[in-house]
Parts: sequence; C-alpha cells; structure tokens
Amino acid sequence: MGILTLNLSSPTLKPYQHHNNLLKCPLSLYNSQIHRLCRKKNLSITITCKLKATKESAERERNRVGKKIVVSEGSPSLSEDAGNGRVPASSDQNSVGNFKLLKKLSRRVLSVLSNLPLAIGEMATIAALMALGTIIDQGEVPDFYFQKYPEDNPVLGFFTWKWIFALGFDHMFSSPLFLSLLALLAASLMACTYTTQIPLVKVARRWSFVHSAEAISKQEIAETLPRASVQDLGVILMGAGYEVFLKGPSLYAFKGLAGRFAPIGVHLAMLLIMAGGTLSAAGSFRGSVTVPQGLNFVVGDVLGAKWISLYSYRSFLVRQFHTDLSLLDLEGKEVMRKTISVNDPLRYGGITIYQTDWSLSTLQILKDDEGPFNLAMAPLKLNGDKKLFGTFLPVGNTDSPSVKGISMLARDLQSIVLYDQEGKFAGIRRPNSKLPIEIDGTKIVIVDAIGSTGLDLKIDPGVPVVYAGFGALMLTTCISFLSHAQQPLGEDTWRV
Amino acid sequence: MIFLTLEHILTHISFSIVSIVITIHLITLLVDEIVKLYDSSEKAMIATFFCITGLLVTRWIYSGHFPLSNLYESLIFLSWSFSIIHIVPYFKKQKNHLSAITAPSALFTQGFTTSGLLTEVHQSAILVPALQSEWLIMHVSMMVLGYAALICGSLLSVALLVITFRKDIKIFYKNNHLGNESFSNVFGNTYFFSAKNYYKSQSIQQLDHWSYRVISIGFIFLTIGILSGAVWANEAWGSYWNWDPKEIWAFITWTVFAIYLHTRTNTKLPPANSAIVASIGFLIIWICYFGVNLLGIGLHSYGSFTLTSN
Repeated sequence: MGILTLNLSSPTLKPYQHHNNLLKCPLSLYNSQIHRLCRKKNLSITITCKLKATKESAERERNRVGKKIVVSEGSPSLSEDAGNGRVPASSDQNSVGNFKLLKKLSRRVLSVLSNLPLAIGEMATIAALMALGTIIDQGEVPDFYFQKYPEDNPVLGFFTWKWIFALGFDHMFSSPLFLSLLALLAASLMACTYTTQIPLVKVARRWSFVHSAEAISKQEIAETLPRASVQDLGVILMGAGYEVFLKGPSLYAFKGLAGRFAPIGVHLAMLLIMAGGTLSAAGSFRGSVTVPQGLNFVVGDVLGAKWISLYSYRSFLVRQFHTDLSLLDLEGKEVMRKTISVNDPLRYGGITIYQTDWSLSTLQILKDDEGPFNLAMAPLKLNGDKKLFGTFLPVGNTDSPSVKGISMLARDLQSIVLYDQEGKFAGIRRPNSKLPIEIDGTKIVIVDAIGSTGLDLKIDPGVPVVYAGFGALMLTTCISFLSHAQQPLGEDTWRV
Repeated sequence: MIFLTLEHILTHISFSIVSIVITIHLITLLVDEIVKLYDSSEKAMIATFFCITGLLVTRWIYSGHFPLSNLYESLIFLSWSFSIIHIVPYFKKQKNHLSAITAPSALFTQGFTTSGLLTEVHQSAILVPALQSEWLIMHVSMMVLGYAALICGSLLSVALLVITFRKDIKIFYKNNHLGNESFSNVFGNTYFFSAKNYYKSQSIQQLDHWSYRVISIGFIFLTIGILSGAVWANEAWGSYWNWDPKEIWAFITWTVFAIYLHTRTNTKLPPANSAIVASIGFLIIWICYFGVNLLGIGLHSYGSFTLTSN
C-alpha cells in the first residue's frame, strides 16, 4: 500500500489550525484530510493531502499522467492567459514611439497612484483635516481669527492666524488643500480599480484552462501529485464547496467569487458618490425666504408661490408646522398645490421647496376701536426649540426716555399674553375671539396674529447621481461582507 | 403612571443582573472557570436583554415615538445593542472571549444613563418636528448598532494589543481551554514556557479573527446609517451633506475603519498593526458619540446635554 503525502508548506506557518475539514469522499480508497492554505487572509493552514491507495488502484494510478495542483492566492498572472497581449501594430514609426512613451508614463503614474499605503495615507490625511475643520471655527470674519489665534500667543507654540489663512482652514471644506486631497483620493480609487481589480474580472471570466504542465509550475504555489485522478480531485473540491469546471485533463475550481467583485463595486460606488458631489457643487442653487401669511412671492421668473395658512397645535411646544403652498405659473394659473411640513418638501420640475422654520411676524390690534395697527413682533431668546415673540405698544408720552406701555407675548398663534405698564400680568386673549381687554384705561382687541414661514428653495442636479451611489455603496458593502462570512479565507482557485 | 414604574423596575433589574454577570466573568477570568456559573451568566444576560427590550418597548408605547430622540434614549439603545451582540454568539454555540467585553460595556452604559448626570432627559418628551419622520428609526438605530459593534471590535483589538505587548501574562496560566495543565506539569518549565507562548498566539489569532468579523458588521451598519442620514437630511434640510460636526466625525470614524479593513489586506504584517488602527478608532467613536454632543452646536443638537451638578 502506497502512501503519498503532499505537503504544501509556507514560511508563514502558524501553529493554530483553524479549519478542520474532513471531506467525505465517495471513493473509499482515498482518505484525505485537506486543510487549505491561503495566504490572502492572515490565517494560514497547511494543506496536507494524504492519498492512500490500495494495491489494485495503485496499478491504475501508475498509468496516470502526473497532475499538478495549483493553489493560487489571487489572480494568476496575466501572462498565463490563453490569449497573449496584442502588440498594437502601427505603420507610422513616430506615432508608435510617442504612443509607447505615453503608455510608459501612464503606466508609471498608475502604479504610483494605485499604491495601497499611499491611499491609506490619503485617507488618514483627509480624516485629520476634517477633524481640524471641526475644531477651528469655520466661516468667521478674519477678526475672529486674529483674536483667537494671535501672533504673540500662538496655540501649540506655532499656530497663528497666518497659518489658517495660508492653508485656507477658515473655509476648510472648500479650501484648495482639502479639495485637491479629495481629487487625489478619487484618482487613487480609479487607478486601483483599473490596474488591480478589472484584470481580475477578465481573468475570472475567461476561466482559462491552462494545459501545459510547465505553465502551472510557474505559479506561486504549485505541487506535483503524481498518480492522482482529476475526477476524484474534482469531487473532493466540490465537497468542499468549490465550483469545479472540468475540461479534458484540466480542472479549474474557484470559490467565493462575489468577494472578489464586491470591493470593485464599493470603489465604483464611492467614485459615483464623488462625481455626484462634484455635480452638486458645480450646479446647485439655493435660497431661503421668509414669507408672511397670505403673500405671494416670486421665484426667479418661472413661478410664484402663495402661502395660505400656517397652523400648529398643542400650545407651549409646537408639534409640527405646515405650510400650504400653491404654485402659480406666469399667467396666474395654479399648477400645483401641496401642504408641506418639515420632513415633506414640495418637488416641482427640479425645484424643491423645504419648510424650515416659522415665526410670528406681526400682531394686528385695535386700540380704543382705532386701527387696525400692525405691530411687528420680535423673537425673544429662549432655550432649546421653544420660541417666544414679543411686541410693545407704547402708552402715554412717547417722547420721554423711559416710555411705558403694554407688552404682548406669544409662543404660538393661538394665544397672546398681555402685560400692563408695570409689567404685571393682565390677561390672555385668542386672536379669533375678538374679546376686548381693558388695560390701564386702554381697550385692546387682538384682531389677528400673522405668522410667517421660512422656506428653502433648492435646485440640485447631482442628487440622483449621489442617491445611485448611496444605493450601490450599501449594496456592495453588504455583498462584500456576506461573501467574507461564507468564505472567510478569501477566494481560492485551484487549477489542475 | 404604570409605565413609569414599569420602566423603573426594568431598569433596576437589568442593572443588577449585569453587575452580577460582570462579577462572574471577572471571577472566571482571574481565578478559575466554573462551567455552571458560566451557563447561568449566559442566561442572566438573556434576561438582561429581555429587560432592556421591555424598557424600550415601554418607552415607545408611553411616548408614542420610537425611543431614540435624545441622548438618554440612545444610550439605552446602545446598551441594548451590546446585549444583542453578547447573546448572538451564544446562540451560534460559539464560545469566545467577546462576552468579557460586551457585558461590562453594557453595564457601564446602563449605569451611566441611569446615574444622576442626565436626569432632566429621563422624561419622555414629544418629538421636535424635524425628528418626526420614518427615517428616524432607520438612521439612528443603524448608527447606534454600528457604534456598538465597532466599540466591541475595537475593544477586542485593544485586548489584542495588551496581550501582544505584555511580557508577563498571569491570566493564562491556569486556563484549561486545551486541558494541557497536566502536560505542562509533567514536562517542567521549558514546556510550560512554550505552552504559554502557544496560548498567547492562539489568543491573538482568535481575538484578531473575532475583532475583524465584528468590525466588519459594525462597518456595514455604520455605512447604512451614514447614508440613510444623508438621504434624510436631503428630505428635511435640503442638502445631503451639511458639514455638520456630527456628520464629519461619523465620516472620520468610517474612514478610520476603512483604513483598518485595508490594512488587513496585506497578510504579511502582524495583526498588531491593524489592531492599532482599531484602537484609534475606539477613541474616535467616543469623540463622535459624546464629544460632539458636548459641544451642543450644529444640526444634531438634540443629543446635547449640560453637565449639571446634582
């Protein structure tokens, strides 16, 4: 009985044995224990293939051609392809020379750009710059920086306002330094995808069978397993979950192909997002407007919008505010009508109108049955999201320096709180009730509280592109992880 | 009223269970392994999981919105995520060292939230209009789940670094994972020494493997969270990226863990390199989660709080 031991050992052998795959081979002749050697991930396992053959099969085996088992850790080199690279034939000598020079230069540039440590360094630098951008206040007036980072007392010993303006840190996220780093990262992504990953696609798709024994032995890991049967090996591999392709005396098996493609997808999705962001930066317009109730306002020269009503409920804390918008075209015909709220914008022909804020603009009152007077309301500072608006009606001699009057405060459109000349609480009135209130001899009737809504208008052509990039990124990261979960050791290919 | 008392009861139950579990794990780690205690501690963690789930559901019913609107609720959600991460390997029948890290994390989070620092936000409040959206559920839950997984993974990497760089590890002497105690006693000191190295490399391998898997899951959750946040921002505020401090730090976290995943592609380097990156990531997650909230500025100011002296 002959025992054949095949030992594929690698210099990075570690004592920890991870997978213990005992494959049940239908042929009882073989008793094989296959541990897979994979250098791609940092777990490495010996591949030991013990083939015990009985006497009669040994006779059979002696007649077989020696076979080689090749485990490739990644893509086999392109030189193994069945179709060799084609030399561009050109009759013109000069253009051939220039073309070759250009090719050489671009190849050089590509190899520099697709260097992984460079990409890691770029990512780290971008992260550091972003962190710096949150620490340094952005978009302030130059005086602010003069005061905060003075020359005579520099932060960290050397950081003065000169550094900030020289490097553009006051507008970090649109500064040339930051943008050029982003562009460099995009270039690295493109170079990496082009040089490393697209050839993988080509190789995997061709599923080329390498027929000559010499070609296989040039691979990184190759071993000779004489007196082995290709079919049996194929069965063993199928038992281990590989997809096996047999063509004559050759065999090709791979596993975990999705894990090979998903990183390409991730990089392409990132590039798509960056392209969409560039498009947004170049082609988007944005503006905001605060419109009092019932007024029309015109956007550009295309359409106008009319604001109808603003309502809120649950006093003391506005729960949700809505604006009823009616879009009119140039002739005044109503084109679209929608009630928008904070998470629900209006979209029409590329323009989007968002509800951002609300406020009280004026209070209409009748004083001693005269009027109505419009009193402008001003916002008063309060913590958090609660708002408070106030206005003041002077009573008596308005020219004296300490003028006294009636104060009116409102948290929302429902109720107005009135205080008299000494600041004492006088009463609450609702605008719709038309009930008069008597304060210090003056009769006040609150006619109406007029609010105004804050709207943001935006045109952004890059949004569909960016959304597509987002969806692609989510999908490809999930696929990448799932394939790693199934095949934690990365993709293996076997060629026989 | 019932809901409030129910909330209190559940909080205290989960708190006490987790502290017991931690004590058990410390005993296991430092003294000896008692199998029965380990089983009961696993069951106790499952009980904690149910308690915290009950807590969240109670808050949901009581306040009418998904319980993720301020820092307190997000911290409870974080401890819930830790308990999930703890019990998932248990159901897959994979015994590992992860439990020693997730259980204390869950406890500390729970303890911090119920301590006196954040009492003013314990009450459920109605949501501000900007948060009244279906995106709230997806975005914030994905982010918090992502943070939880990434924190676990980076803590495992920190453990890996500790093991790599400490010369003298007393903890693994009596570990009978492989039942080699008698072996080492028979053959004397030299074999004992090599056995210690063997345990060391074995632990490093396991920690590295587990840290990689947990960080991968966390990375996916973080990606989905950031992207859904961007889409939500576009719906609510008109722009998918506003250079808000919280957004920027989330993106920095994403970048650091992307660097981690890329450093692992080169398998010739020792695992300590990527572990260093993951440890840096741990600090960055805490800055992102807490530090930005302390600033209290920007569009994400819902989570801000001021440290009041109570």
